[in-house]
Amino acid sequence: MDYTISTIAPIVLLPFFAFVINSFIVKKLPKLAVGISCSAIFLSFLYCVRIFKDFVFGTYAANYHVHKVFTWFDLGDSFKVDMGIYIDNMGAIMLLMVSGVATLIHIFSTFYMKEDIRYGRFFVYMSLFTAAMLGLVLSDNLLSFFIFWELMGFCSYSLIGFYYEKEEAGNASIKAFMTTRVGDVFFLLGIVALWGVIGSVSFVDIYQALADGSLIGHSVIGISLTTFAAAAIFMGTIGKSAQFPLQVWLPDAMMGPTPCSALIHAATMVAAGVYLSLRMFPLMDAGGLTPYIAYIGGITAFGAATIALIQTDIKAVLAYSTISQLGYMVLGIGVGAYNAAFMHLITHAVFKACLFLSAGSVIHSLHDEETHGHVQEMPRMGGLKAKMPFTFLAMMCCTLAIAGIPFFSGFVSKDRILGDALVMASQSRVYWIPTLLGFGGALLTAFYMFRMMFLTFFGEPRDKSLYDHTHVEKLSWNRNIPLLILSVFTLGLFYCGSFTGQKIAKVPGVVDKEWFATLVEKPEVETFASYERQTWDFTDEKSAQTFNKSSYDKTHGLSEEDYHHAHTMHIIGAILSIIIAFAGVFLAYLMYIKRSLNPARWVSAFPRWNKALKNKYYFDDLYINIFIQKGLLGLNNLLAKLDMSFYDKYFVDGWQHVTRWAYTVSRKFDDWVVDTALVDGTGASVRLFNVILRTIQTGKIQFYFIVIVFVLGSYIWNLNIN
Amino acid sequence: MMTLSSYLMISFILFLAGIVVMIARKNMIAMLLGIELILNAAALNFVAYTKFVNQNMDGHIFPLFIIVVAAAEAAVGLAIVIRFYQIKETIHIDDATQLQS
Repeated sequence: MDYTISTIAPIVLLPFFAFVINSFIVKKLPKLAVGISCSAIFLSFLYCVRIFKDFVFGTYAANYHVHKVFTWFDLGDSFKVDMGIYIDNMGAIMLLMVSGVATLIHIFSTFYMKEDIRYGRFFVYMSLFTAAMLGLVLSDNLLSFFIFWELMGFCSYSLIGFYYEKEEAGNASIKAFMTTRVGDVFFLLGIVALWGVIGSVSFVDIYQALADGSLIGHSVIGISLTTFAAAAIFMGTIGKSAQFPLQVWLPDAMMGPTPCSALIHAATMVAAGVYLSLRMFPLMDAGGLTPYIAYIGGITAFGAATIALIQTDIKAVLAYSTISQLGYMVLGIGVGAYNAAFMHLITHAVFKACLFLSAGSVIHSLHDEETHGHVQEMPRMGGLKAKMPFTFLAMMCCTLAIAGIPFFSGFVSKDRILGDALVMASQSRVYWIPTLLGFGGALLTAFYMFRMMFLTFFGEPRDKSLYDHTHVEKLSWNRNIPLLILSVFTLGLFYCGSFTGQKIAKVPGVVDKEWFATLVEKPEVETFASYERQTWDFTDEKSAQTFNKSSYDKTHGLSEEDYHHAHTMHIIGAILSIIIAFAGVFLAYLMYIKRSLNPARWVSAFPRWNKALKNKYYFDDLYINIFIQKGLLGLNNLLAKLDMSFYDKYFVDGWQHVTRWAYTVSRKFDDWVVDTALVDGTGASVRLFNVILRTIQTGKIQFYFIVIVFVLGSYIWNLNIN
Repeated sequence: MMTLSSYLMISFILFLAGIVVMIARKNMIAMLLGIELILNAAALNFVAYTKFVNQNMDGHIFPLFIIVVAAAEAAVGLAIVIRFYQIKETIHIDDATQLQS
């Protein structure tokens, strides 16, 4: 299939132009702006479907990719910046997920934001947000990746602070922006470090440099450049994907409207961080970072799950579950479960978008008569199953998925990460702790998600008047249909097994692996050692036919014995995670449906833990009280003192004496030379000539004729005598 | 015998007549007539030189332009004179002092 600028650029440009047009018309024509945004993202989705179809169901080789480059600017041989697009199987799947989820979120937003005062403006930001994420997925180099990355940072800032009348929303948006900025600075450092050595930050150039070893031998501040760049770029992931220790911004990000939370938590913002780590996986592997990444992922997965246990706000539970699930993805990257981590990114995006939209549907219909606001507190809900059957259905599917119940997507992907973690743990001791944290987090996930479901939809309504005021939900195209579409895709069979497996997907002959594992592979840097760039009009007909069965190695390069061991470990992991998931659900059932266990007793049994969880492990206090108050504010005061007592006193005030002296001198000069000599002198000389010239300025035109004739005559006379 | 100098002499007389009219007459219309004389003197020069020196059509084209320009200029000049007459009820050149300040 031909990939030219006209079939790829619209993916990014359609939502981007929707953003540009809407920013001009949104005040006058909000309805039209909404229409433009929705149709732009839908068209972009269609383009993505085409690419997805080509890559997954087409006849390309498994490692086929489209890589087109153009020169952005050129300042001689030493400084030439290329931009381009890079689509491989991972990018194609990612494109479909981002644009599909974003389309459904746009449709849902037309319901959720309908009565909002800034109805149209919301869609302006959403369009830019989606365009930035699609651009990021298409990027072929870290520089344009970084540009889109920052664009998303800005969009999340303006969407989180969408209700800027509320002070918390403004603070949350600043917090989100500044916290991710910490990671972004390191990310930029990593880019610069790579640029300094390679002279390019294109992904393929980085793979190539890793393959031919040109990164070896360089070092930055005493550590090897590979490690430094990998760590710096991973800091970007930590910031963007809300990993420990920069996870503090994501729970606050729920101050924005719920559909934007769905977009931030599922398809765009946090997914970008994990996507970066996946793209840069060879670098992180070469830098020896994987154990640390696994630890960070494990700690995040478990820690965030514990905080989610005691949250009462329905969106806060979902926010912490996002952090926890992102922890699993990072854990997957850490243990080398490349395609499992990516699969979890996709499955998580689907069910988390659906969960947030369902939560939005619940919140939207609960209307507080006294405050005229929406209710998000779970203690006031309960028994809503009867009022909202469709929302309940969608949310239940997603909860089953995230809890890791078999046959749902979350089980497939999470189990695969945990299985790979078990394999790594059985080979090397250091991975035991992240693996155990991962399994512990899975137990907690099942528990707190079902706690949320039971508190919201089951039991007796706890706020009777609120319950009675709630209307019974009717099936509507922009409220329930997006939810139901998303909930269909929480079924595990779309992601694994032979249902969509080899029969439809392109890999012939590989019978005992599903399409995801076949298509998404770790980039092998050796294959990039002799890499040639494609031009824009290049069509690769050869690789479309040359798929070789043996190029897919189902044992992942392991020996038969190791592969057998890994297989056993995966089965153990699967059984363990099924037991764990059902244990979590059962525990929640005992506590919140049967009420044979009283949660309050547990709280009183561990008061200090409860307090720590309530304060989110004191991370906010740590950052505000220690880093900002003591550290940054002290530095700030020191600099202010330096500024006032040194620069102000000697330079600014000292400058005053200089200016005063210069003023005196220049005033004397002005008085004597300029005013007296030049200005008055000019006047005097003009007056002098005036006296002379006035005598011949008679004003009689015929006198002038005479003068002209005499002048001409004397000229001609002069000619004659010469 | 018509030589170049006889053409030039007539042209010179025309020119001088124009100059004298311009200088001596105080009537604006008369002054415009003087300008026409001067222009005609120039046109005659063109024709004379092209007949005796150059012998192509260039010099015959120029008088056409001069006539057109002279006609346009006379139209503008007469328009000014008429406006002036409506304001001042005279066309005496010494009364045209509005531009003096």
